[in-house]
Amino acid sequence: MSIAVVGVNHRTAPLEVRERFAHAPREVPAALARVLSAGAGGGVLLSTCNRTEFYLAEPGDAIPATVWAILTERLSEGRSASEYGYLVRDRDAVRHLYRVSAGLDSMILGESQIQGQVREAWETSRSQAGPVLHRLFQSALLVGARVRSETALAAGAASAPSAAVALAGKIFNRLAGRAALVLGAGDMAELAANCLASEGVRVTLVANRTYERARAVAEELGARALTLDEAWEHFASADIVLTSTAAPHAVVTWERVAPAIGRRGGRPLCILDLAVPRDVEPAVGQLENVFLYDIDDLQAVAANAATERHHEVPAAERIVSDEVERFWAWYGGLAAVPVLKEFRGRLDDMRAAELERALKRLAHLSPEDRAQVEQFSHALLNKFLHHPTIALKQAAQAGRGYGLLESLKKLFGLERLDDT
Amino acid sequence: MVLVSHLLALGLYGLATAFAVAPFAGLRPAPRALTLGAPLAGAAVHVVGVAQLTPVGVAPVLSILALFLVLLQVVSERVFRASAVALFTGPLATGLVALALLIGLGPEARPVVGGGRWSLLHITISILGLALLALAFIAAALYLLQFRELKSKRFGQVFRLFPPLERLDRLNHLSLVMGFPTVTLGVLLGFGVRYAGGVPVDAAQIVWGMLTWLVLGWAVGVRVVRHWAGRRAAFASIAGFVAVVLVYLALKLAAPGTERFL
Repeated sequence: MSIAVVGVNHRTAPLEVRERFAHAPREVPAALARVLSAGAGGGVLLSTCNRTEFYLAEPGDAIPATVWAILTERLSEGRSASEYGYLVRDRDAVRHLYRVSAGLDSMILGESQIQGQVREAWETSRSQAGPVLHRLFQSALLVGARVRSETALAAGAASAPSAAVALAGKIFNRLAGRAALVLGAGDMAELAANCLASEGVRVTLVANRTYERARAVAEELGARALTLDEAWEHFASADIVLTSTAAPHAVVTWERVAPAIGRRGGRPLCILDLAVPRDVEPAVGQLENVFLYDIDDLQAVAANAATERHHEVPAAERIVSDEVERFWAWYGGLAAVPVLKEFRGRLDDMRAAELERALKRLAHLSPEDRAQVEQFSHALLNKFLHHPTIALKQAAQAGRGYGLLESLKKLFGLERLDDT
Repeated sequence: MVLVSHLLALGLYGLATAFAVAPFAGLRPAPRALTLGAPLAGAAVHVVGVAQLTPVGVAPVLSILALFLVLLQVVSERVFRASAVALFTGPLATGLVALALLIGLGPEARPVVGGGRWSLLHITISILGLALLALAFIAAALYLLQFRELKSKRFGQVFRLFPPLERLDRLNHLSLVMGFPTVTLGVLLGFGVRYAGGVPVDAAQIVWGMLTWLVLGWAVGVRVVRHWAGRRAAFASIAGFVAVVLVYLALKLAAPGTERFL
């Protein structure tokens, strides 16, 4: 019995390679079917933008090669997927998944999106996972939840978009229902707008130098399109302004927005300037109740959170280690079951054969006496087996059963179990 | 019993203060059950002691004020998730109980003269109004600290652990809006006790009571009628509270003694 993980992640493979290995959910069953047909006892495929990993139950020596072959097919000629990847077995494989689920192996330490991705991978692969991986993924999700609730590994905003949300969240009581104005229609503005929208912020207006581009982005966000010149008036009503234009100089100047901001009646305005060079003149940030942050500020918030999160790593690793031992105890106990079953069966066959022989010699016994003798043989066997069975189960659950099981197999000729 | 319950309350308030300060000292925050449980347990034993006090003299008033502050702290944390309020209320309540114990509680306190229950009601409601004014001050101070952090782009402990600006502004608003009718009722009961109940009231009590009422009325007025909010409203609350405290101290210096609150 064993467990393995074969795959690549953001530390071992560049983005260009990871992109090629990424599997859409509809591709997962076919990939796992190939691994199962090669002899694996179960499989789960976890594929995100940062990792593609096959979790395998009962992987014989040939199975990892099958996984590498599947991945290599996605590379250009002359390269092998195994150059970019890793193979981890048994306890280390369990530890690996638990660390992944807890966010300890993520590019942004402690990020919580991975928990959902682990769950999705398990659900997509459920029919092909088998009982061991089923249990492993269930426990991995619990480990992730435990780490997040018992440590501060996921506290704070450790990426620039989440820092934008955190900053706005320190000004407004609730972000849900706030109105956001987006200046610029680039990818960065769209990304940050989506991040705010996920917190319930309503992106109501998108303004851009070219109206057509503004309209395209506005349609995606369910907002109204404006030209930049029309946008200044809306500084009076928006709660959050996101700017990310490609202008070579500041477009949001004191002269343009101060009159509108003066009509806000003291309501706070959060301006997130994501552009380089900056879109917003620093003087705008001096206005009363205007909170202006640029990309450096967002990165400073993210860096602070990342530092705080690093302090939580030892506590998170302790939880992972505890849970690895817990899983391995269960798994070790699972390994003892077929050996014990065979052991019992073998001795019971011997008991039955010897009983039959003895009863032939004791033909004068009445049916009641024969039943008594048979009962005696059962009781004697159970007495003999009771202590060894308990000791083996306990040793296996404590992870110390391997030597005892091997001895048992040798002493009672149970080696054929290995062949099956 | 008065002394024991106050000593127990003092210990629990001290513990609650330690829980409130710990995250700012870089320590792991205590579980919510403890940050709420310690002040609540303190308030529970404190109530037992306060119930046996005669609310006359500086020490009993300080003790009752501390109790109200702790209760308002728990409400702020539950309703506004403003656990940072405990940064002020914790040490303040601990200090007030300690001061009350130092001044001397219990046996030497005189019984309430005349007016009976009405007088008791007047004192209790007036102290509650004062506690609400103090809570408005605390919310305003927290607002200004967080405002400064956000404006100056310092993303340290205050940024992380203080509630959002808007929430602190609402807490300040609500404290003032609730405090004003409370103090008004306290003042009206005071007049009732004096003129209908025949209880002697010093000029100092009238001056300070009316001043507190006027300050709260002004702070509520500028918020509700003139729609002040944010920093300006915070400064108004702080100025009002400081004026009330300074005038009290001045009156107390003019007529020292701990046997009467004023």
